[in-house]
Amino acid sequence: MTVREIAEKTRGEIIVDNPNAAINSAYASDLLSDVMGHCGDESVLVTIQNHLNTIAVCTLAGIEAIVVCHRRPVPNDMAEAAKRENVAIITTEMSQFEASKALAELPASSK
Amino acid sequence: MRFDLHIHSCLSPCAALEMSPSQIVGRAVAAGMGGIALTDHQSAKNCPAIAECARRAGIGCLFGMELQSAEEVHTLALFDTVEQALALTDWVCEAMPKRVNDPETFGDQPVVTWDDDIVELEWRILAMGCRRTIPEAAEKIHSLGGLYIAAHIDRPNYSVVSGLGTVPEGCFDAVEFSRTADEQAWTAKAQGYAVTRSSDAHNIGDVARVWSEAPIGAFSVESLKKAFADRSVRISPALTSF
Repeated sequence: MTVREIAEKTRGEIIVDNPNAAINSAYASDLLSDVMGHCGDESVLVTIQNHLNTIAVCTLAGIEAIVVCHRRPVPNDMAEAAKRENVAIITTEMSQFEASKALAELPASSK
Repeated sequence: MRFDLHIHSCLSPCAALEMSPSQIVGRAVAAGMGGIALTDHQSAKNCPAIAECARRAGIGCLFGMELQSAEEVHTLALFDTVEQALALTDWVCEAMPKRVNDPETFGDQPVVTWDDDIVELEWRILAMGCRRTIPEAAEKIHSLGGLYIAAHIDRPNYSVVSGLGTVPEGCFDAVEFSRTADEQAWTAKAQGYAVTRSSDAHNIGDVARVWSEAPIGAFSVESLKKAFADRSVRISPALTSF
């Protein structure tokens, strides 16, 4: 799935694009230690964690896109790091549950 | 006496490398602080260095850390001695992920001497939570003789309020407001806890930009505990931007 397709399905806005991302699985969590422990690579993360550390965790875990729920604002330092690390950021009005349902055709990410 | 109870040194991956213990102490003295506390993420390994800097400068100093709990909430542990703070560091590090820090991703984590030489680079990722819960940490810190403070309860990330919805009862000695928290609005959400304001400085210019004040003679866990109980702590005005 592409970043554009994720944005369309979640009726979201692409804040940072990653046109080369090939996303094959999805994970939903707001606990970054849980993300680190269980989310595999080539994945999209559904979360409300709108801060810089989320990008660092994505880099370590190989997560290629984040869907930030409830239209939480994306701080500048987070967006800058995402550009640098090739992590796409999409913001949506949806809750984590609604966004996960919208992306349900993707298999669950694991490692 | 004015004090700033939440300062990061270069050991914290997100803090500037210029944040050596000697620079922090120099800045705090210049800003008129009577006491400071060093609170790096998950580690007190720069406390021996700042103890020496503080001794030379004649400023009060408490030793501890900003403990990121299993709930991914930031809390402050403060002690009178470096030994107590290092005992807590061991207890926290036993429950940390064994993942090695990538400085490119999270930042460098140097342990330094009082005169700014690098001793070692901490290998764990200090930006991660540990498996100790808030009630477990409260019990451990109090059994070691320390103070336990809920950090920046007004912040949208990593605070008790953002993570747990409220400030848990019976765990803390006080709560901390960030630089920008409105005192009246947040005191109403503080569950009756004593209130402090500290800088959470990650850059040298932010040390002691905000502070707390209490009518205490010695800067110690005991005197702060008494000031919290008396509700005699006054906090500096909120800044309009972080």
